[in-house]
Amino acid sequence: MKKKMRVLATVFALSMALTTLSACGSKDDAKSNADDPNAKDTITALLPPVSANFQSNFDQMTKDFNAKYPNLTLKIEPASWEDMTSKLDTQVNAGSPPDIAFMGSDGISKYVQQGMLMDISDTATEEMIKDYDAAPLEYMKNGKGLYGFPAYMEAHAIGGNKEFMEKAGIDYKKVQKEGWTFDEFREAIKKGVVSEGGKTSRYGFVFATAGVTSKDYLGILVKSAGMPAAFDKDLKYAYTSKNFLEVLKDIRVMIDDGSMPKELSSIDAGKRWNMFLTGQTMITGKGLAGFERSAKLNNEKLQNKDASAVKGSIPVDYVVLPVPSFAGAQAQASVAVDGYVTFRGTKEPTAAHKANVVKAANFLSSGANAATTNNELFVAQITESSRKAAESMTVERDADNKAAVEAMLKTAVPARPDIPTDLGAKAIKLEDEVIVPKLQALIAGEITPEKMYDAVKSAAVSAFGEDGVVKD
Amino acid sequence: MTEYAKPIKRRKIKGDAAWGYAFVAVAVLVFAMFTAYPVVSALIISFQEYKPLGSTFIGLENYTETFKDSLFWKAVVNTIIYTLLTVPVSLFLSFAVSILILPLKKKLQTTFKAVYYLPAVASGVALSVVWLWIFDPMPVGIFNKVTSFFGLGTHNWLGSSAYAMFSLVLMAWLSSHGTSIIIYLAALLGIDGSYYEAAELDGANFFQKLWYIVVPCLKPTTLFLLVTGIIGSFQVFQNAYLMTGGGPDNATTMVGLLIFNNAFKYFEFGKAAAQSLVLAAIIAGISLVQFKFLGKDVEY
Repeated sequence: MKKKMRVLATVFALSMALTTLSACGSKDDAKSNADDPNAKDTITALLPPVSANFQSNFDQMTKDFNAKYPNLTLKIEPASWEDMTSKLDTQVNAGSPPDIAFMGSDGISKYVQQGMLMDISDTATEEMIKDYDAAPLEYMKNGKGLYGFPAYMEAHAIGGNKEFMEKAGIDYKKVQKEGWTFDEFREAIKKGVVSEGGKTSRYGFVFATAGVTSKDYLGILVKSAGMPAAFDKDLKYAYTSKNFLEVLKDIRVMIDDGSMPKELSSIDAGKRWNMFLTGQTMITGKGLAGFERSAKLNNEKLQNKDASAVKGSIPVDYVVLPVPSFAGAQAQASVAVDGYVTFRGTKEPTAAHKANVVKAANFLSSGANAATTNNELFVAQITESSRKAAESMTVERDADNKAAVEAMLKTAVPARPDIPTDLGAKAIKLEDEVIVPKLQALIAGEITPEKMYDAVKSAAVSAFGEDGVVKD
Repeated sequence: MTEYAKPIKRRKIKGDAAWGYAFVAVAVLVFAMFTAYPVVSALIISFQEYKPLGSTFIGLENYTETFKDSLFWKAVVNTIIYTLLTVPVSLFLSFAVSILILPLKKKLQTTFKAVYYLPAVASGVALSVVWLWIFDPMPVGIFNKVTSFFGLGTHNWLGSSAYAMFSLVLMAWLSSHGTSIIIYLAALLGIDGSYYEAAELDGANFFQKLWYIVVPCLKPTTLFLLVTGIIGSFQVFQNAYLMTGGGPDNATTMVGLLIFNNAFKYFEFGKAAAQSLVLAAIIAGISLVQFKFLGKDVEY
């Protein structure tokens, strides 16, 4: 009996150890087919919940893909938005990423620098390329390489409460068509403030700036201050321009006016949306097209006395508004281009597998798949095939909001694939280690705009050299 | 007398010894794979510019960059401040709670132990969500309601440099004492009752018994908790990552968070590995000093 117990214990212990170690093993080699384009192949994709029903359509998507390409299997691994980056980064650093991952085009340079992206410029067919609008497709490039296909291009706007703006006498329809300067915007948000006995019950403007969201705030504003990218056309670092200082001063003055809360540095994306729906703010940022849908859904819940409506919320008609222009510069819309990015593992992919990955990325980012997802998100279609597929679909969207977004997309900041990855990486690090922390301090009222500007300038000079920065 | 060379005995591993080695082998294998191998890998990576498709050897560059990096030193200072403010207070609170729990009946004692241990089994993310709600910067926030009630006004707890570190310290003060309380209670129960009886015969009061019996008897436990507490505090990451992201103006950037950012945000694994080894050296140094000065008369 004693001996049996020992054998049993050893077997258990070894099986535990082997089970753990087996997790470190390499994944199946299904994709290492020869160069036969008709050979069976599996394409893996790591996809987050891009839209509300996106992940529930996975079964249908894989069936449709297999029907279109009978020798190919699309294996989709779902991920939450929270897990997406960590899951992808873990797989990338282990040398075995998925073939396709859905992500923002701003992350492309990071993975190009790692050497883990697959350039599909020699594999994507002319027919595929022609299907995409040129502007969003450019965002999927880095240098001369094309690293996937775009899913949508969304303008970063701000959003207003129609009723409050009308009460404040703001001609929002004119603003939607013609835009506004910072001075006009400043006056408008002052009118939106409601205070009683020194206590503010409604702010004119609230933008999420807690943590990394402050990066969005500044990034969106500087684009309409003559700095569409961190580098100018001569690849000199742009945020040493005097216009940058002007934007910083304007950021501070909106808080000092009382139009924005003094606690702004701690307001995250969820909080400011809650403040918008509960009538604590007239204009919110950043505003995405899908917010119109979220506001409508909450309105319906309120009407039906549904307990899941946001606590304390009021009916809101969401109005899409452009970001104001700063320092006399032309307003340019900051855009987010997300798409299906193509990865490679440590082994060189075969030509056949590469072609199959391209087919899968194209399948996901165009036609009926893109049409359904983009309609759900209230974003514009960016392929001919999805526009055609969307003709038969109905979207209940405010016509003025739709027109405002289309107008903004016309002034969308162009992609900058010419920025070398090492310069891009340095700029990202400078942004994370100097700009964002200093901006948080500026918003919290701990440093002046001039002090922040000097800190950024000094860090930029040490990163890019005296001749590597804009001097104006 | 003639001496004959003794024949060399071949050790045969059999019986209980063989089983012993078999059991130990599993633990050694797991330790080698998941502890020793990553440490050796980190050491190698710290001399490289790491890339999944092929790393390049760059000598001591990651170390020199780390020592020149002002943010690294700011993070070290932040971590030291956090440690100095949290570890002694946490030890004192755990000790005080243990003393208060000790005289209670066993059932009640177990209930209190479970209650104090509860945060240790709860998800850190879930706890952070609760704390974010408590630290709401608007007047409706719980702490702001409390401070307003006492006429201290409202504060931007996590958004201003003046309060962000204090807020994280407060979180540490008001949670995570469960393990220390259980260890202290076990040690308190191990003190021989005859010491107290002798002290009572000599007319010692509560504080005299505490100072002359309990504190010296608990010295090994306190040293253990101090050393492990400081090691844990130097590796603090989660609270800063979830609550402040290291801001504002890097006021709450700890070394652990900096290492995480370098590794997983910028993919600078070489630099992150170098920084983690420097951190390990700092922790080892502090632990040695603690044992040298506080562990002289401690026996285990």
